[in-house]
Amino acid sequence: MRIDKSSLTRNGRRMTDTATNAHLDDEDSELKRSITGRLLFFYTLGDVLGSGIYVLIGLVAAAVGGAFWIAFALGVTVAAITGSAYAELVTKYPRAAGASLYVNKAFGNRPLTFLVTVSFLAASMAASGSLAVGFASYFSEVWSAPPALLVSLVFVALLVVVNFIGITESVWMNMLMTFVEVAGLLIVMLIGIIHVAQGDADFGVLTRIDVSGDYGSPALAVLAGISFSFFAMTGFENTANVAEETIDPYKAFPRSLVGGMVVAGLVYVLVSMAAALTVPTETLATSDAALLEVVKQGILPFSTDFMATLFSVIALIAITNTTLVTIVTQPRVLYGMAREDVVPGVFAKIHPVRRSPWVGLIFSGAVVGSLLVIGTLVTEAGGGIDLVGRLATVTVVLLLAIYAIVIVACLRLRGRDEDHPFFRANTPLLFLGLVGNLAILYFTIYDDPTSLLWCAGLLGVGLVLFLAEYFFGSKGTGSKAPDLDDVKGV
Amino acid sequence: MHVIVATDGSRQSLAAAKHLKSFADPTKVTAVSVVAVVRPLASVAFADDLSEGRLDGTFRDAAQSAVDTIAAVFEGWGPKVNKRIRSGSAANEIIKAAKQYDAGLVVVAAGGRGLSDSVLVGSTAQRVQHYAPCPVLVVRPAPRKRK
Repeated sequence: MRIDKSSLTRNGRRMTDTATNAHLDDEDSELKRSITGRLLFFYTLGDVLGSGIYVLIGLVAAAVGGAFWIAFALGVTVAAITGSAYAELVTKYPRAAGASLYVNKAFGNRPLTFLVTVSFLAASMAASGSLAVGFASYFSEVWSAPPALLVSLVFVALLVVVNFIGITESVWMNMLMTFVEVAGLLIVMLIGIIHVAQGDADFGVLTRIDVSGDYGSPALAVLAGISFSFFAMTGFENTANVAEETIDPYKAFPRSLVGGMVVAGLVYVLVSMAAALTVPTETLATSDAALLEVVKQGILPFSTDFMATLFSVIALIAITNTTLVTIVTQPRVLYGMAREDVVPGVFAKIHPVRRSPWVGLIFSGAVVGSLLVIGTLVTEAGGGIDLVGRLATVTVVLLLAIYAIVIVACLRLRGRDEDHPFFRANTPLLFLGLVGNLAILYFTIYDDPTSLLWCAGLLGVGLVLFLAEYFFGSKGTGSKAPDLDDVKGV
Repeated sequence: MHVIVATDGSRQSLAAAKHLKSFADPTKVTAVSVVAVVRPLASVAFADDLSEGRLDGTFRDAAQSAVDTIAAVFEGWGPKVNKRIRSGSAANEIIKAAKQYDAGLVVVAAGGRGLSDSVLVGSTAQRVQHYAPCPVLVVRPAPRKRK
């Protein structure tokens, strides 16, 4: 910060400025925040709900059988407990940096902080990829002509452009999309209710756990289900993005974040029950757009084609909403790292008109795009992978590790920085959450060890950026004092 | 007359502030409010190109240091200087501030010249021009000198 030395001598002037400053602290720092508790609630809900239930319900049904709602219920419980750790940390450190900040505060270990930051970035990119593939499957229900890879690539490219222009910043658009998202799931629940009311439902399905498949015991089958469904629970960590701009975070965060998770969990359980009751589990298990099967049962008194199209559009909006948030987050992480000289300074470049980190945006889009292309090539070469599932697994592995570390950080930071009001998460629950996260993590890796290769590949991108900065970067590109003398008034 | 000087942390906004000071009569200006808007849902909620410093996860600090740098331009000029940080959509908040303080002039910087400015309509400067309750001074960047 430059201080104009000459001004310090003018006492009269300086007094007034100090007076205004004191006034400013009272009025502006506290009152002019713009994210209310309600907006935060919808932000959480929109972010969590879109990421998975539309995309992954088939996989979960395949793993568990008719009782797959249990997987959703248990998964969301672990996630909500993790959410309470986030709520504690966010109210302690209300800043926009999330996991990296907490880990840095708790351990003060730079390599660990870097690893967590890069893992988060990688998880976010894999999530965008998975969602983009999911988008393409629902899109093919509306218009099946273009190839899926093209649709998902165009989708990612469009979101990058939208983000660059800044449309994503509209709070109201965010809320509207969340309403549409919830409406889609309400349709599924309504179909379930009508089906039950008509007396056609076989409730036995809800307790049926499929042990004939790959997982011999009911416990393993459910664990597999939790592992597959966990992608649907992620996204809440992105709420740390708006921590700084939340009004009264001490009250708003626990309520909105944990509340949002609980509501999302309830919706998931009811939606999975409705899906299990109305559609044979085998049909769900083999469908690319499984929730669409529920709508196609023709239980509502509308034409099935109309409902299928309407529902596809809703699913597309839901997926878009969640993908937008992940694509907003990636350049932000890169920007923060560039300012700290950990990755090349170009990622701190801000477009002069749009004030968007355009290099970071294009880079994120390119990495997600390559994931899609590589994934499609591997699939076509007979790699025998399901791209949505694979990328979701990669996201889940990375995020579970981060969640576990965040819970440990939360426990380690107890007793520190507690001079202001903050939310205190329940300690026994945190231990339970830690065990839960690690159990799901262990199973996910055990079940699909090759997902580690993908994780390593994505983390490698971070390493390459680090090395590029280390060997070729000039020190201080991100945080050097700018030369303002060339800024002329006229 | 109350003048609002908006900053998005860009060098161009500093140029705009200096431009105002270069011609305006300080005795006619009662107060200058330097306003920065943090955009919570944007990728980078506030980018400060005006001062040194790491981004320690707080965009509010970045906004604060940008506002401080701009406010320093008007130090000792005469009118009272207020510093304001708001949160939300940039154009909306600048217009709201103009109404709230009953401003007589809003000073904004027009980001750049060229394709991006004309193709991507709806930039902050444009929206402020259209909807502000008072005159708006849009400071455009000086054309690049050919070397």
